[in-house]
Amino acid sequence: MKFQKAVLDNGLTVIGEQNAAALSMACGYFVRTGARDETPELSGVSHFLEHMLFKGTERRTPEVVNREFDEMGADYNAFTGEEYTVYYGSVLPEHQPRLLDLLSDMMRPSLRVEDFDMEKNVILEEIALYKDRPQFLVIDEARSTYYKGHPLGQSVLGTTESVSALARDQMYEYWNRRYAPNNLLLTLAGNFDWEEALGQVRAATKEWASADSPRHHPAFDPAAAVKVVANEKVNRAHLAFVSPGVPAQSDLRIVADMVSDIIGGGEGSRLYWELIDPGLADAVRLSHDEEDGCGAYFGYASCDPENAQLVLNKVRAVLLKAMDGGLTEEEIEKTKRKAASALVLHDETPRGRLFHVGFDWQYRHEYRPLDDVIDQYLAVTKADVDALLGRRPFDILTVIGLGPLTELA
Amino acid sequence: MTGVHYSLQLPNGLTVVAEHLPAVRSAAFQFIVPAGAITDPEGYEGSATVLEGLSYRGAADRDSRQLSDALDALGIQRGGGAELEYVTFGGALLADDLHRALEIYADILRRPHLPPDQFPAEQALALQKLERLEDSPAEKLFVNLRRAYYPGSYGRTSLGTEDGLRALTPGELLRDHSRRYVPRGAILAVAGRFVWSELSDTIHRALGDWAGEAPVQPAADPTGRIAYRHIPQETNQEQIGLMYPTVPIGHPEYYDMRMGIEILSGGMAARLFTEVREKRGLCYTVRAMQHTVKGAGAVIGYAGTTPERCQETLDVLIAEIQRLQEGVEDEELARARTGVLSSLVMSAEATRSRAPSIARDQYLLGQVRTMDEIRAAVEAVTTESIQQHLRRHPARDFTVVTLGPVELEVNA
Repeated sequence: MKFQKAVLDNGLTVIGEQNAAALSMACGYFVRTGARDETPELSGVSHFLEHMLFKGTERRTPEVVNREFDEMGADYNAFTGEEYTVYYGSVLPEHQPRLLDLLSDMMRPSLRVEDFDMEKNVILEEIALYKDRPQFLVIDEARSTYYKGHPLGQSVLGTTESVSALARDQMYEYWNRRYAPNNLLLTLAGNFDWEEALGQVRAATKEWASADSPRHHPAFDPAAAVKVVANEKVNRAHLAFVSPGVPAQSDLRIVADMVSDIIGGGEGSRLYWELIDPGLADAVRLSHDEEDGCGAYFGYASCDPENAQLVLNKVRAVLLKAMDGGLTEEEIEKTKRKAASALVLHDETPRGRLFHVGFDWQYRHEYRPLDDVIDQYLAVTKADVDALLGRRPFDILTVIGLGPLTELA
Repeated sequence: MTGVHYSLQLPNGLTVVAEHLPAVRSAAFQFIVPAGAITDPEGYEGSATVLEGLSYRGAADRDSRQLSDALDALGIQRGGGAELEYVTFGGALLADDLHRALEIYADILRRPHLPPDQFPAEQALALQKLERLEDSPAEKLFVNLRRAYYPGSYGRTSLGTEDGLRALTPGELLRDHSRRYVPRGAILAVAGRFVWSELSDTIHRALGDWAGEAPVQPAADPTGRIAYRHIPQETNQEQIGLMYPTVPIGHPEYYDMRMGIEILSGGMAARLFTEVREKRGLCYTVRAMQHTVKGAGAVIGYAGTTPERCQETLDVLIAEIQRLQEGVEDEELARARTGVLSSLVMSAEATRSRAPSIARDQYLLGQVRTMDEIRAAVEAVTTESIQQHLRRHPARDFTVVTLGPVELEVNA
């Protein structure tokens, strides 16, 4: 493994982790923009724009963009979150120049009005699709309730109303500010040629002008809340719960990740034994979401509606017990083993590795080889875990219950 | 570049297939046990699911919690579950721990406690998972589509039925376990880093004296399928599914069919995505895929869209599927070929995708296809051979199921 890094004159950062033994190479543009960077009238624009990047450039029609990806046999996609928009592909090494040319060209889209109007229908269909998924809606509601007033509470998809009202020129103006080279990161992983990639990208992006792409970090003061979203068309009780976590820049993020795994990381976790094992809930999980300057624990459970209060009480009791009594040495050792194997399996492919290398740089401006990351997990002690739980994160709990429910306390 | 294959047939009927991938640090394994929904005892539909869940609640000298702790101590990323034709057990982990994991899974398969006092909890979980289908419109559509297409056992779902789940008892599950958790017809697939001679020794030791004969497997038979069924539900989107017969895996025209589907729905430049989503903006999701079971093949088409556009979406979906019979372009075939071959090479980088893949090959074909074999078969497909195949096996006799606010007309 060899790490490479360069910052071009226009401000574009290019990084890569070379693995000559890999069968493929992956690369992706990580754009530091997402729902949190939108104003209310632009709600949903980051995600809509992500779709529009597949709709062609000066050199390529929409059909050509899709066709070129397919002609390379690329495994490719894009996604938009609260903080980042990422475009990536993985291909056999011989297609490296063509993939880089395509992805780089896409960052300078035409945003033609007729394509914009057509794609708006697709976005509205995507919004309708998620309206039929209570498992998704309840988490979205929990996020907006917990982060009320903070940009991290903003919806990625936007609403039918906000997307319908968006105009092409508003999107262009947003793109112009947010897709400046100094706000982009190009990451490569696997079996690639660094010098060739760098030369090609330097030439392809030389006309790109940097811009001011600020991100706001207003103060955030979370408060506990319980809210019911009554919906008689839904059959199950879908519960979401959120508590304050630690930011992506904090050294404690790995400890927070382990704490959430021990409490609610699936089979064998504390919530599993409390709720799934006795058959009280058919799903339960807790994970830690690290974000830029903030962080939160997100939990979810689903159960029969008549058991919703009981399940919520038990979730609260599990969280309280973890804070009062801490977690055991055995639990911490188990979660280390699980983390190590999960990391190795995830990063086995260049495509998997791409996201870890890219986000490590985006959030922390650091490169960490996989073995270093595993060592970070192995180095966590019971004292670290106890110290984190000693801050009593779950004393502040935002709870949403969605389904055929009348009240929750 | 491709992995080295090994196989082993134990006298008791268990088949072992393995693919050695030298460049990885992990190993993945999957057991296939012929105890899926199709062989659930009549009147006890859902037994496969409850039995699978109960299997983890203690085995050999470990109780439920000790068993879970032992799996976690090995860092196993657990997988598996009850499916239509079989039940799978397995996972992925660091290669050094593979042998210990296999020993624990041998206990789970052969010596589960199936504790009667934990049966009510497992039954309650299965009933809730069935109920959860009501909140997942797309999954509910697929369950009903297969039910409409296959009137017999292949129309079942591993989720079972409410009546079947309620009829189950601990005693019935014990009987079912001794009938269906047997080595004859079972498969163990391993992919990743291992030393074959050592792996083979461990398997002989842990599973060599397992005994039992497989129950009779029913055949997949779509005779008597339903042409159209609408399921009214107050959803925002209409769910549209269709299914029609094609050649099964192992058939001489299998790869002609496979490349045809790839041309329809393989990438973003494929026909369905281009015509339904890109040109008309009718929906977010539209695709066609194979539905392959032992001895039978079908194609499934799917789209989800809001009520105003759903009749047009179904019409275009059917028209595009049928237009394939008029011929395909050289460039379309070239793209489809590149896509299939490229993902084939890339799949060799991940043990987690290889173990289930070779297990399924063994189940469906009685052997594992090598990458060279697949490559040669894909390269042999021509635009002419696809057209000849579609002339002999045209897309017709559709079963259509819709779920949502609007009943549609099928214009096929």
